[in-house]
Amino acid sequence: MGMLDGLIEQVTPVAAPQSLGPRVAQHLLNRAGYGPRPGQIQAVLDQGLTEWIEEQLSPGADPELDTRLAAFPTLGYTTSQVLALYNADSRTINVILDELTSAKVVRAAFARNQLQEVLVDFWFNHFNVYVQDGFTRYAIASYERDAIRPHVLSSFRELLGAVTLHPAMLYYLDNYLNSAPRTQGGRVVGGINENQGRELLELHTLGVDAGYTQTDVIEASRCLTGHGIDALDSGGNYLYRPANHDDGSKQVFGLAVPAGGGQGDVQRLLDHLAAHPATAHFIARKLAERFVSDAPSEAFVAKLAGVFQSSGGNLRELTKAIFGSAEFWAEAFSAGKPKTGFEYVISTLRATGAELSNTRMVKTTISDAGMPLYSCNPPTGYSNLGSDWLNPSAQLYRMNFALDLSAGMIAGASADVRALIRNAGGDPESPASAAEAIDRVVFGRTLSAATLGAAGRVSTSGSVSVATRVAGLLFASPEMQVR
Amino acid sequence: MRRFDPSRRVFLRGAGLAAVGVGLAPSALMVRTALAAGGGPKLLVKVFLRGGADGLNLCVPYGDSEYYNLRGGIALQRPGQAGGVINLDGYFGMHPEFAPIEPLFRDGRLAFVHAVGNPAVTRSHFDAQDFQESGTPGDKRTATGWLDRAIALIPGREVTQAVCFATQQVRSFLGPEPVLVAQTLSSFDLHARNWRAEAETLLTSMYQADASAVGATGLETFEAIGTLLKAPTPPPSNGAQYPGGSTGNALRQAAGLIKNGLGTRCIYVNVAGGFDTHANQLQNNVGDYRPLGLALAAFATDLGALLDDVALVVTTEFGRTARVNGAAGTDHGTGYAMLVLGGRVRGGRVLGRWPGLGSSQLFENRDLAATTDFRDVFQELARSQFGISDSLFPGYTPGAGVGVV
Repeated sequence: MGMLDGLIEQVTPVAAPQSLGPRVAQHLLNRAGYGPRPGQIQAVLDQGLTEWIEEQLSPGADPELDTRLAAFPTLGYTTSQVLALYNADSRTINVILDELTSAKVVRAAFARNQLQEVLVDFWFNHFNVYVQDGFTRYAIASYERDAIRPHVLSSFRELLGAVTLHPAMLYYLDNYLNSAPRTQGGRVVGGINENQGRELLELHTLGVDAGYTQTDVIEASRCLTGHGIDALDSGGNYLYRPANHDDGSKQVFGLAVPAGGGQGDVQRLLDHLAAHPATAHFIARKLAERFVSDAPSEAFVAKLAGVFQSSGGNLRELTKAIFGSAEFWAEAFSAGKPKTGFEYVISTLRATGAELSNTRMVKTTISDAGMPLYSCNPPTGYSNLGSDWLNPSAQLYRMNFALDLSAGMIAGASADVRALIRNAGGDPESPASAAEAIDRVVFGRTLSAATLGAAGRVSTSGSVSVATRVAGLLFASPEMQVR
Repeated sequence: MRRFDPSRRVFLRGAGLAAVGVGLAPSALMVRTALAAGGGPKLLVKVFLRGGADGLNLCVPYGDSEYYNLRGGIALQRPGQAGGVINLDGYFGMHPEFAPIEPLFRDGRLAFVHAVGNPAVTRSHFDAQDFQESGTPGDKRTATGWLDRAIALIPGREVTQAVCFATQQVRSFLGPEPVLVAQTLSSFDLHARNWRAEAETLLTSMYQADASAVGATGLETFEAIGTLLKAPTPPPSNGAQYPGGSTGNALRQAAGLIKNGLGTRCIYVNVAGGFDTHANQLQNNVGDYRPLGLALAAFATDLGALLDDVALVVTTEFGRTARVNGAAGTDHGTGYAMLVLGGRVRGGRVLGRWPGLGSSQLFENRDLAATTDFRDVFQELARSQFGISDSLFPGYTPGAGVGVV
């Protein structure tokens, strides 16, 4: 079908390295997924880049991953079940959240459908909720499983609808308390809480620069009144309470909502916001930042926004348009985008071919690198910009993760770096040969002469093996910090 | 990007300043090293409460009867009543959880500045934080943070000159100056038992060869390792007891850095608490102000006479609505309160101009109005602590300030 016909040739610098294939395959695996596993660069080249992308855009079954996830039986529990377990024994919530965070690591590290995992991460972060926030911790597994995951390759409007009325979001942004002021026993009870109304406009759809006003925030909040949760300590299900809804007419950023719309007001509002050009532009820019660069060109963002609008907010089409763009492939020849802490840790696990028997120390490193899982407190989510993740403390945690993993010092994660080198045709006793093998099999031959040279100078004597030293240095290298 | 070649750093300073349009003459780059009477270098500590901390329940205008009308069930009681505020000046009182720092107010080392704000009013967390940290309200394109511009004017190049206790670099420090961002300074070393020296040498050579920001960050990391291994953080002095949690840990390490004399001039403590109190505000405020009060008191005790060299400012991005909302909370507002602590702070006072809480006095009949531009206070602190008199804020000439230092 040729979605990539001529694209890569078009963006290749004149003085390109002789063998482009591994470099562009590595780029694709780094951006559309969490980086190559040993052998995967060649496998993608054998399959064809276009075919691999098409497969990722239509995720199929992944029985191997299902087997791994079977270790986490609470992943499928409803919020009501979670609350019932918690009420019977409050310690159960720790097990449930541990399974949720472990599953996130396991999926990212092992899923065949890498793009799906990247998109679930992206959209969860776009519609961020915070696991430590009271009731949200009971509903967060359902939030990701039921509101985010099924919709990341469907339509933005469906995703927005599922997220907006999910109890996890309704609690996190206080909409369960948002109601029309009423008189009860002579005094006024309830009132507008504008938290979710504001973030719906600012963070979820239009973006802060769209030109809406404080009045629009309040009018949007009025549309959201009455949408809440049946009970926070049991049930935990979405509930609409007509008596709490402000049923007057509203005017939100160009949308007239007539009086008497009841529960449907929010749907009209979401239709309006999802179709608004400002939303198309805001979402396009954020996706471009995630997949292409910290500073995507305005022309590229406009092109993606056009795809968003012409496709009616079809997220598969939008995602596909990114991989079919010259801007995306030109990045294979750039300095790269710095990885987030999560991306770094997962990509290092993948590159070493590590097996995981438990994820505790891996999750500690992810936290230390500044990204505790599901634990971004503000509704903005974690920064999408690679430059925001560069700092000495995170850098030290990253380098130490590489050094520890290569030395077998990360409990629960076993990486056989000797086998990695040998399977790639290298000699684990020879620094230069070992470095060259790792460069070929997981870096797509992108390591600089300085990096290869440094790894080639490790000592061949002493209690620490050549393989441990070479792998530790290469996975701690500048090239490993970027994708 | 950020490199450690001194000649390049001079270039970057000039380029950075030109880019943001401050337009200082080269001679102005040489500012005097502001020295405290005690002889140590003066420091500025910025504590940022993320989420929009409510100034009206932090420094409470209990003398303004409108306060009680507006706040209803989440109003804090007058001094002397159960759960009442701590009287400051007969009109304002501070949150009762600040009892540990009451002695500092009484002996004149703690002040509040009320009704501070940003002239480009926004009720977006993100924009309000951006405006305050860039120091350019209304302009999100500013490439540098105000503290980066400030430390660019201070002589010295140690990586520990500016230290940020946070999980990520903060916008205030964005720019070419090196900043050590860390959560903990202990065990700040490579894990490479039996080959540590070799690992450090070889990794350093890799990062030296990388001309991007990644390379620069790596070199900053190795410099920080070297500095911190030579001078481990000393334990608290004078019996200071820090509370658990990230604010206490950060201020304990901040005091250690100051006592260590590593040339640190600027410290940032990021507090990601529950300040965005849309619901159940009273409970949330207690949860955040208790460790903050204890940590500030311990910090002052720990430093002893060295507190003379320090000015610490606690700030946030915006205040909250004057009226209680439908959920025993408050929504995003405008004017807020700052707290300033230091041995030479002109404390024991609530500074700033109080705009009042009457419906015609509120901004848009909803928020505490802002009567002091935050940039005036920041410039005043930079003048006192760093000897910087030229504006740190492109396109703005700060006023004389509020007389807090």
